[in-house]
Amino acid sequence: MIKKLEVLGLVCPFPLVKAKQEISQLNSGDELVIDFDCTQATETIPRWAAEAGHHITHFEKTGPAQWSITLKKK
Amino acid sequence: MLFMVISGLATGTAFGFVCQRGRFCVTSAFRDLYLAKDSKMFIAFLIAITVQSIGLFTLSALNVAKIPTEPFPWLGVITGGFIFGLGMVYSGGCAAGTYYRAAEGLIGSITALITFMISAAVMKFGLLSQFTGEVLSVGYAKTTIYQTFSLSPWILVSILILVTGYLVWNYRKKEKKLYIPEMVPQRKGLNHLLFEKRWHPFITGILIGVIALAAWPLSLVTGRVGGLGITTPSANLVVFLVSGNYSVLNWPVFLVLGILVGAFAAAKLSGEFKFRTPDTKTMVHSLEGGVLMGVGASLAGGCSIGNGLVASAYLSWQGWIAIPSMILGTWAASYLIIIRPMRHPQITTPHQTQTSASN
Repeated sequence: MIKKLEVLGLVCPFPLVKAKQEISQLNSGDELVIDFDCTQATETIPRWAAEAGHHITHFEKTGPAQWSITLKKK
Repeated sequence: MLFMVISGLATGTAFGFVCQRGRFCVTSAFRDLYLAKDSKMFIAFLIAITVQSIGLFTLSALNVAKIPTEPFPWLGVITGGFIFGLGMVYSGGCAAGTYYRAAEGLIGSITALITFMISAAVMKFGLLSQFTGEVLSVGYAKTTIYQTFSLSPWILVSILILVTGYLVWNYRKKEKKLYIPEMVPQRKGLNHLLFEKRWHPFITGILIGVIALAAWPLSLVTGRVGGLGITTPSANLVVFLVSGNYSVLNWPVFLVLGILVGAFAAAKLSGEFKFRTPDTKTMVHSLEGGVLMGVGASLAGGCSIGNGLVASAYLSWQGWIAIPSMILGTWAASYLIIIRPMRHPQITTPHQTQTSASN
Protein backbone atom coordinates (compact mmCIF):
# COMPACT_ATOMS: atom_id res chain seq x y z
CA MET A 1 0.00 0.00 0.00
CA ILE A 2 1.18 3.52 -0.72
CA LYS A 3 0.01 6.31 1.56
CA LYS A 4 0.50 9.98 0.82
CA LEU A 5 1.16 12.62 3.48
CA GLU A 6 1.08 16.26 2.48
CA VAL A 7 2.50 18.60 5.07
CA LEU A 8 3.10 21.69 2.92
CA GLY A 9 3.04 24.86 5.03
CA LEU A 10 3.81 23.01 8.24
CA VAL A 11 7.03 24.01 9.99
CA CYS A 12 9.32 21.87 12.08
CA PRO A 13 8.84 19.77 14.08
CA PHE A 14 5.34 19.08 12.70
CA PRO A 15 6.31 17.40 9.40
CA LEU A 16 8.34 14.88 11.40
CA VAL A 17 5.69 14.50 14.12
CA LYS A 18 3.00 13.80 11.46
CA ALA A 19 5.29 11.41 9.59
CA LYS A 20 5.88 9.40 12.76
CA GLN A 21 2.15 9.28 13.50
CA GLU A 22 1.31 8.27 9.94
CA ILE A 23 3.91 5.52 9.67
CA SER A 24 2.75 3.96 12.94
CA GLN A 25 -0.61 3.25 11.23
CA LEU A 26 1.02 1.40 8.33
CA ASN A 27 2.06 -2.23 7.98
CA SER A 28 5.59 -3.39 7.38
CA GLY A 29 6.50 -2.99 3.71
CA ASP A 30 3.93 -0.23 3.11
CA GLU A 31 5.23 3.00 1.61
CA LEU A 32 4.73 6.54 2.85
CA VAL A 33 5.22 9.47 0.47
CA ILE A 34 5.80 12.74 2.31
CA ASP A 35 5.57 16.07 0.48
CA PHE A 36 6.98 18.89 2.59
CA ASP A 37 8.33 22.42 2.32
CA CYS A 38 10.00 22.91 5.70
CA THR A 39 13.71 23.28 4.94
CA GLN A 40 14.86 21.79 8.25
CA ALA A 41 12.90 18.62 7.53
CA THR A 42 15.39 17.79 4.74
CA GLU A 43 17.74 17.02 7.64
CA THR A 44 15.37 15.64 10.26
CA ILE A 45 13.14 13.29 8.23
CA PRO A 46 15.90 11.28 6.47
CA ARG A 47 17.90 11.06 9.70
CA TRP A 48 14.90 9.85 11.70
CA ALA A 49 14.00 7.32 8.98
CA ALA A 50 17.54 5.95 8.91
CA GLU A 51 17.67 5.72 12.70
CA ALA A 52 14.26 4.03 12.90
CA GLY A 53 15.32 1.58 10.18
CA HIS A 54 12.77 2.58 7.53
CA HIS A 55 14.12 2.30 4.01
CA ILE A 56 14.29 5.54 2.01
CA THR A 57 13.32 4.54 -1.51
CA HIS A 58 13.08 8.00 -3.04
CA PHE A 59 14.16 11.52 -2.05
CA GLU A 60 13.99 14.46 -4.40
CA LYS A 61 13.57 18.20 -4.62
CA THR A 62 10.33 18.75 -6.50
CA GLY A 63 10.44 22.55 -6.80
CA PRO A 64 11.56 25.74 -5.07
CA ALA A 65 11.62 24.92 -1.35
CA GLN A 66 9.64 21.73 -1.88
CA TRP A 67 10.67 18.15 -1.41
CA SER A 68 9.27 14.64 -1.61
CA ILE A 69 10.57 11.63 0.26
CA THR A 70 9.31 8.04 0.14
CA LEU A 71 9.84 5.65 3.03
CA LYS A 72 9.22 1.93 3.12
CA LYS A 73 8.18 0.87 6.61
CA LYS A 74 10.53 -1.52 8.40
CA MET B 1 31.08 53.95 10.92
CA LEU B 2 32.03 52.33 7.62
CA PHE B 3 33.97 49.59 9.41
CA MET B 4 30.96 48.96 11.66
CA VAL B 5 28.58 48.68 8.70
CA ILE B 6 30.83 46.40 6.68
CA SER B 7 32.09 44.12 9.46
CA GLY B 8 28.63 43.85 11.06
CA LEU B 9 26.94 43.05 7.77
CA ALA B 10 29.68 40.60 6.76
CA THR B 11 29.53 38.69 10.05
CA GLY B 12 25.74 38.60 9.92
CA THR B 13 25.78 37.45 6.30
CA ALA B 14 28.15 34.59 7.14
CA PHE B 15 26.05 33.67 10.18
CA GLY B 16 22.76 33.73 8.24
CA PHE B 17 24.30 31.73 5.41
CA VAL B 18 25.65 28.99 7.68
CA CYS B 19 22.43 28.83 9.72
CA GLN B 20 20.34 28.36 6.58
CA ARG B 21 22.56 25.82 4.84
CA GLY B 22 23.38 23.95 8.03
CA ARG B 23 19.76 24.01 9.27
CA PHE B 24 21.17 25.25 12.58
CA CYS B 25 18.39 25.50 15.11
CA VAL B 26 18.70 26.15 18.84
CA THR B 27 14.99 25.44 19.27
CA SER B 28 15.51 21.98 17.86
CA ALA B 29 18.66 21.57 20.01
CA PHE B 30 16.69 22.11 23.22
CA ARG B 31 13.23 20.85 22.25
CA ASP B 32 14.33 17.61 20.60
CA LEU B 33 16.22 16.41 23.68
CA TYR B 34 12.72 15.78 25.02
CA LEU B 35 10.45 15.62 21.98
CA ALA B 36 12.52 13.34 19.75
CA LYS B 37 15.00 12.07 22.38
CA ASP B 38 17.64 13.34 19.98
CA SER B 39 20.82 15.12 21.08
CA LYS B 40 22.45 15.76 17.69
CA MET B 41 21.59 19.45 17.41
CA PHE B 42 22.33 20.00 21.12
CA ILE B 43 25.81 18.54 20.62
CA ALA B 44 26.28 20.81 17.58
CA PHE B 45 25.30 23.73 19.83
CA LEU B 46 27.87 22.64 22.46
CA ILE B 47 30.52 22.41 19.72
CA ALA B 48 29.77 26.02 18.75
CA ILE B 49 30.13 27.13 22.39
CA THR B 50 33.35 25.16 22.89
CA VAL B 51 35.05 26.43 19.72
CA GLN B 52 34.10 29.99 20.61
CA SER B 53 35.22 29.57 24.22
CA ILE B 54 38.70 28.30 23.33
CA GLY B 55 39.15 31.12 20.85
CA LEU B 56 37.75 33.79 23.11
CA PHE B 57 40.05 33.13 26.06
CA THR B 58 42.98 32.98 23.64
CA LEU B 59 42.00 36.32 22.04
CA SER B 60 41.45 37.79 25.48
CA ALA B 61 44.98 36.77 26.51
CA LEU B 62 46.21 38.50 23.33
CA ASN B 63 44.17 41.63 24.26
CA VAL B 64 42.06 41.65 21.09
CA ALA B 65 38.86 40.60 22.87
CA LYS B 66 37.43 41.62 26.22
CA ILE B 67 35.41 39.44 28.62
CA PRO B 68 32.29 41.25 29.89
CA THR B 69 32.13 42.06 33.61
CA GLU B 70 28.44 42.74 34.26
CA PRO B 71 26.75 41.19 37.33
CA PHE B 72 24.57 38.12 36.86
CA PRO B 73 20.86 39.13 36.84
CA TRP B 74 19.66 35.75 38.07
CA LEU B 75 15.97 36.56 38.53
CA GLY B 76 15.60 37.80 34.97
CA VAL B 77 17.77 35.08 33.46
CA ILE B 78 15.73 32.28 35.04
CA THR B 79 12.22 33.66 34.44
CA GLY B 80 13.03 35.30 31.12
CA GLY B 81 14.87 32.20 29.92
CA PHE B 82 11.84 30.04 30.65
CA ILE B 83 9.49 32.48 28.87
CA PHE B 84 11.88 32.66 25.90
CA GLY B 85 11.98 28.85 25.79
CA LEU B 86 8.18 28.70 25.60
CA GLY B 87 8.18 31.36 22.89
CA MET B 88 10.69 29.67 20.61
CA VAL B 89 8.67 26.46 20.47
CA TYR B 90 5.47 28.40 19.73
CA SER B 91 7.13 30.38 16.94
CA GLY B 92 9.12 27.39 15.68
CA GLY B 93 12.53 29.06 15.91
CA CYS B 94 14.73 31.04 18.28
CA ALA B 95 15.58 34.68 17.65
CA ALA B 96 18.31 33.93 15.10
CA GLY B 97 16.23 31.06 13.68
CA THR B 98 13.30 33.40 13.19
CA TYR B 99 15.52 35.89 11.30
CA TYR B 100 16.86 33.26 8.94
CA ARG B 101 13.53 31.53 8.38
CA ALA B 102 11.91 34.89 7.67
CA ALA B 103 14.55 35.31 4.94
CA GLU B 104 13.59 31.86 3.56
CA GLY B 105 10.12 33.28 2.95
CA LEU B 106 8.16 31.71 5.79
CA ILE B 107 5.26 34.04 6.53
CA GLY B 108 4.90 32.55 10.03
CA SER B 109 8.50 33.45 10.85
CA ILE B 110 8.09 36.94 9.38
CA THR B 111 5.10 37.39 11.72
CA ALA B 112 7.09 36.09 14.71
CA LEU B 113 10.01 38.36 13.81
CA ILE B 114 7.81 41.46 13.76
CA THR B 115 6.13 40.72 17.10
CA PHE B 116 9.50 39.74 18.61
CA MET B 117 11.13 43.01 17.54
CA ILE B 118 8.25 45.13 18.78
CA SER B 119 7.89 43.37 22.13
CA ALA B 120 11.66 43.57 22.71
CA ALA B 121 11.52 47.32 22.01
CA VAL B 122 8.56 47.75 24.38
CA MET B 123 10.39 45.84 27.13
CA LYS B 124 13.78 47.50 26.65
CA PHE B 125 13.00 51.07 25.65
CA GLY B 126 9.24 51.52 25.83
CA LEU B 127 6.31 51.23 28.18
CA LEU B 128 7.70 48.32 30.20
CA SER B 129 11.37 49.37 30.30
CA GLN B 130 11.19 50.34 33.97
CA PHE B 131 9.81 46.91 34.89
CA THR B 132 12.54 45.20 32.85
CA GLY B 133 15.16 47.34 34.56
CA GLU B 134 13.87 46.38 37.99
CA VAL B 135 13.90 42.66 37.21
CA LEU B 136 17.42 42.94 35.77
CA SER B 137 18.66 44.83 38.83
CA VAL B 138 18.24 41.71 41.00
CA GLY B 139 21.75 40.39 40.55
CA TYR B 140 24.75 38.55 41.87
CA ALA B 141 28.04 40.46 41.69
CA LYS B 142 30.30 37.85 40.08
CA THR B 143 29.98 37.49 36.31
CA THR B 144 31.68 34.19 35.71
CA ILE B 145 31.74 30.75 37.27
CA TYR B 146 35.55 30.77 37.48
CA GLN B 147 35.50 34.04 39.47
CA THR B 148 33.14 32.52 42.04
CA PHE B 149 35.41 29.52 42.55
CA SER B 150 38.68 31.44 42.01
CA LEU B 151 39.75 29.11 39.22
CA SER B 152 41.59 29.64 35.99
CA PRO B 153 39.07 29.84 33.12
CA TRP B 154 41.21 27.27 31.31
CA ILE B 155 40.21 24.60 33.83
CA LEU B 156 36.54 25.12 32.92
CA VAL B 157 37.39 25.35 29.20
CA SER B 158 39.15 21.99 29.54
CA ILE B 159 36.09 20.44 31.18
CA LEU B 160 33.95 21.84 28.37
CA ILE B 161 36.30 20.33 25.76
CA LEU B 162 36.24 16.94 27.49
CA VAL B 163 32.43 16.82 27.84
CA THR B 164 31.79 18.00 24.27
CA GLY B 165 34.49 15.70 22.93
CA TYR B 166 33.01 12.71 24.71
CA LEU B 167 29.49 13.46 23.45
CA VAL B 168 30.75 13.87 19.86
CA TRP B 169 32.75 10.63 20.04
CA ASN B 170 29.78 8.76 21.50
CA TYR B 171 27.37 10.12 18.86
CA ARG B 172 29.74 9.44 15.97
CA LYS B 173 30.20 5.86 17.17
CA LYS B 174 26.44 5.22 16.85
CA GLU B 175 26.17 7.27 13.69
CA LYS B 176 28.87 5.39 11.78
CA LYS B 177 26.53 2.41 11.53
CA LEU B 178 23.87 4.64 10.04
CA TYR B 179 23.38 5.22 6.33
CA ILE B 180 21.38 8.36 5.51
CA PRO B 181 20.56 8.51 1.79
CA GLU B 182 20.96 11.88 0.08
CA MET B 183 19.23 13.34 -2.94
CA VAL B 184 20.85 12.72 -6.32
CA PRO B 185 23.18 15.72 -6.83
CA GLN B 186 22.18 18.15 -9.59
CA ARG B 187 25.20 20.39 -9.10
CA LYS B 188 28.97 19.96 -9.05
CA GLY B 189 32.00 21.08 -7.05
CA LEU B 190 31.73 24.15 -4.87
CA ASN B 191 28.22 24.82 -6.13
CA HIS B 192 27.15 21.41 -4.78
CA LEU B 193 29.05 21.87 -1.52
CA LEU B 194 27.62 25.32 -0.79
CA PHE B 195 24.13 25.16 -2.20
CA GLU B 196 23.02 21.56 -2.26
CA LYS B 197 24.92 19.17 -0.05
CA ARG B 198 23.61 18.27 3.38
CA TRP B 199 25.98 19.71 5.99
CA HIS B 200 26.67 17.58 9.01
CA PRO B 201 25.32 19.44 12.09
CA PHE B 202 28.71 19.10 13.81
CA ILE B 203 30.48 20.85 10.90
CA THR B 204 27.83 23.56 11.09
CA GLY B 205 28.52 23.81 14.86
CA ILE B 206 32.22 24.43 14.22
CA LEU B 207 31.46 27.12 11.62
CA ILE B 208 28.95 28.83 13.94
CA GLY B 209 31.60 28.77 16.70
CA VAL B 210 34.17 30.43 14.44
CA ILE B 211 31.71 33.15 13.32
CA ALA B 212 30.60 33.74 16.94
CA LEU B 213 34.28 34.11 17.86
CA ALA B 214 34.99 36.58 15.04
CA ALA B 215 32.17 38.78 16.37
CA TRP B 216 34.14 39.55 19.55
CA PRO B 217 37.23 41.34 18.15
CA LEU B 218 35.23 42.89 15.27
CA SER B 219 32.67 44.53 17.54
CA LEU B 220 35.39 45.56 20.01
CA VAL B 221 36.97 47.66 17.25
CA THR B 222 33.74 49.70 17.26
CA GLY B 223 33.93 50.04 21.04
CA ARG B 224 31.38 47.36 21.96
CA VAL B 225 32.30 44.59 24.42
CA GLY B 226 30.35 41.51 23.37
CA GLY B 227 29.83 38.82 20.76
CA LEU B 228 26.84 37.91 18.63
CA GLY B 229 23.63 39.48 19.87
CA ILE B 230 20.11 39.50 18.47
CA THR B 231 17.59 40.93 20.91
CA THR B 232 19.02 44.36 21.75
CA PRO B 233 19.81 45.23 18.12
CA SER B 234 16.29 44.09 17.13
CA ALA B 235 14.85 46.53 19.64
CA ASN B 236 17.35 49.19 18.49
CA LEU B 237 16.19 48.71 14.93
CA VAL B 238 12.57 49.41 15.92
CA VAL B 239 13.67 52.52 17.85
CA PHE B 240 15.71 53.68 14.85
CA LEU B 241 12.79 53.16 12.47
CA VAL B 242 10.31 55.13 14.57
CA SER B 243 12.66 57.85 15.82
CA GLY B 244 15.21 58.27 13.05
CA ASN B 245 17.84 58.44 15.77
CA TYR B 246 21.14 57.28 14.24
CA SER B 247 22.88 56.87 17.61
CA VAL B 248 21.09 53.55 18.25
CA LEU B 249 22.76 51.99 15.21
CA ASN B 250 25.58 49.89 16.65
CA TRP B 251 27.56 46.87 15.44
CA PRO B 252 24.92 44.17 16.11
CA VAL B 253 22.20 46.13 14.29
CA PHE B 254 24.20 45.50 11.10
CA LEU B 255 24.75 41.94 12.23
CA VAL B 256 21.00 41.18 12.33
CA LEU B 257 20.47 42.90 8.99
CA GLY B 258 23.30 40.75 7.65
CA ILE B 259 21.55 37.58 8.86
CA LEU B 260 18.62 38.42 6.59
CA VAL B 261 20.98 39.05 3.65
CA GLY B 262 23.01 35.86 4.20
CA ALA B 263 20.03 33.59 4.77
CA PHE B 264 18.17 35.03 1.78
CA ALA B 265 21.20 34.56 -0.46
CA ALA B 266 21.70 31.00 0.78
CA ALA B 267 18.03 30.09 0.30
CA LYS B 268 17.69 31.82 -3.08
CA LEU B 269 20.88 30.35 -4.55
CA SER B 270 19.97 26.84 -3.45
CA GLY B 271 16.40 27.11 -4.72
CA GLU B 272 14.98 27.08 -1.21
CA PHE B 273 13.35 30.49 -1.13
CA LYS B 274 9.58 30.55 -1.37
CA PHE B 275 6.86 32.50 0.41
CA ARG B 276 5.10 29.87 2.47
CA THR B 277 1.86 30.57 4.29
CA PRO B 278 0.98 28.30 7.19
CA ASP B 279 -2.48 27.52 8.55
CA THR B 280 -4.21 29.90 10.94
CA LYS B 281 -3.18 27.95 14.04
CA THR B 282 0.52 28.14 13.14
CA MET B 283 0.16 31.86 12.37
CA VAL B 284 -1.37 32.50 15.80
CA HIS B 285 1.36 30.45 17.47
CA SER B 286 4.02 32.42 15.58
CA LEU B 287 2.48 35.69 16.67
CA GLU B 288 2.33 34.61 20.32
CA GLY B 289 5.77 33.02 20.18
CA GLY B 290 7.32 36.24 18.91
CA VAL B 291 5.82 38.23 21.79
CA LEU B 292 6.98 35.65 24.38
CA MET B 293 10.48 35.65 22.87
CA GLY B 294 10.73 39.45 22.99
CA VAL B 295 9.53 39.55 26.60
CA GLY B 296 11.67 36.60 27.69
CA ALA B 297 14.87 37.72 26.00
CA SER B 298 14.54 41.24 27.40
CA LEU B 299 13.98 40.01 30.97
CA ALA B 300 16.84 37.53 30.62
CA GLY B 301 19.20 40.06 29.09
CA GLY B 302 19.71 37.79 26.10
CA CYS B 303 18.17 35.16 23.84
CA SER B 304 19.33 31.70 22.83
CA ILE B 305 22.24 33.38 21.04
CA GLY B 306 23.21 36.20 23.43
CA ASN B 307 22.83 34.06 26.55
CA GLY B 308 22.82 30.51 25.21
CA LEU B 309 25.63 30.59 22.68
CA VAL B 310 27.67 33.66 23.68
CA ALA B 311 27.39 34.21 27.46
CA SER B 312 28.07 30.50 27.96
CA ALA B 313 31.31 30.80 25.96
CA TYR B 314 32.87 33.20 28.48
CA LEU B 315 31.77 30.77 31.21
CA SER B 316 29.34 33.19 32.83
CA TRP B 317 26.59 32.28 35.25
CA GLN B 318 24.24 34.11 32.89
CA GLY B 319 24.96 31.67 30.08
CA TRP B 320 24.97 28.42 32.03
CA ILE B 321 21.83 29.24 34.06
CA ALA B 322 20.02 30.54 30.96
CA ILE B 323 20.51 27.27 29.07
CA PRO B 324 18.62 24.99 31.53
CA SER B 325 15.95 27.71 32.00
CA MET B 326 15.35 27.90 28.25
CA ILE B 327 15.44 24.10 27.95
CA LEU B 328 12.69 23.79 30.58
CA GLY B 329 10.63 26.38 28.69
CA THR B 330 10.97 24.47 25.41
CA TRP B 331 9.96 21.24 27.14
CA ALA B 332 6.90 22.82 28.76
CA ALA B 333 5.76 24.26 25.41
CA SER B 334 6.50 20.98 23.59
CA TYR B 335 4.24 19.20 26.04
CA LEU B 336 1.48 21.78 25.68
CA ILE B 337 1.35 22.14 21.91
CA ILE B 338 2.84 18.90 20.57
CA ILE B 339 2.78 15.98 23.02
CA ARG B 340 -0.58 16.63 24.68
CA PRO B 341 -2.56 17.17 21.47
CA MET B 342 -1.09 13.88 20.15
CA ARG B 343 -2.15 11.93 23.23
CA HIS B 344 -5.62 13.46 23.21
CA PRO B 345 -6.30 14.02 19.53
CA GLN B 346 -9.93 14.94 20.28
CA ILE B 347 -8.80 18.14 22.03
CA THR B 348 -8.26 20.29 19.00
CA THR B 349 -10.05 23.47 19.92
CA PRO B 350 -10.87 24.98 23.30
CA HIS B 351 -14.58 24.47 22.55
CA GLN B 352 -14.16 20.73 22.37
CA THR B 353 -12.24 20.47 25.62
CA GLN B 354 -15.36 20.03 27.67
CA THR B 355 -16.78 17.12 25.71
CA SER B 356 -13.46 15.32 25.64
CA ALA B 357 -12.98 15.76 29.39
CA SER B 358 -16.07 13.61 29.97
CA ASN B 359 -14.60 10.75 27.90
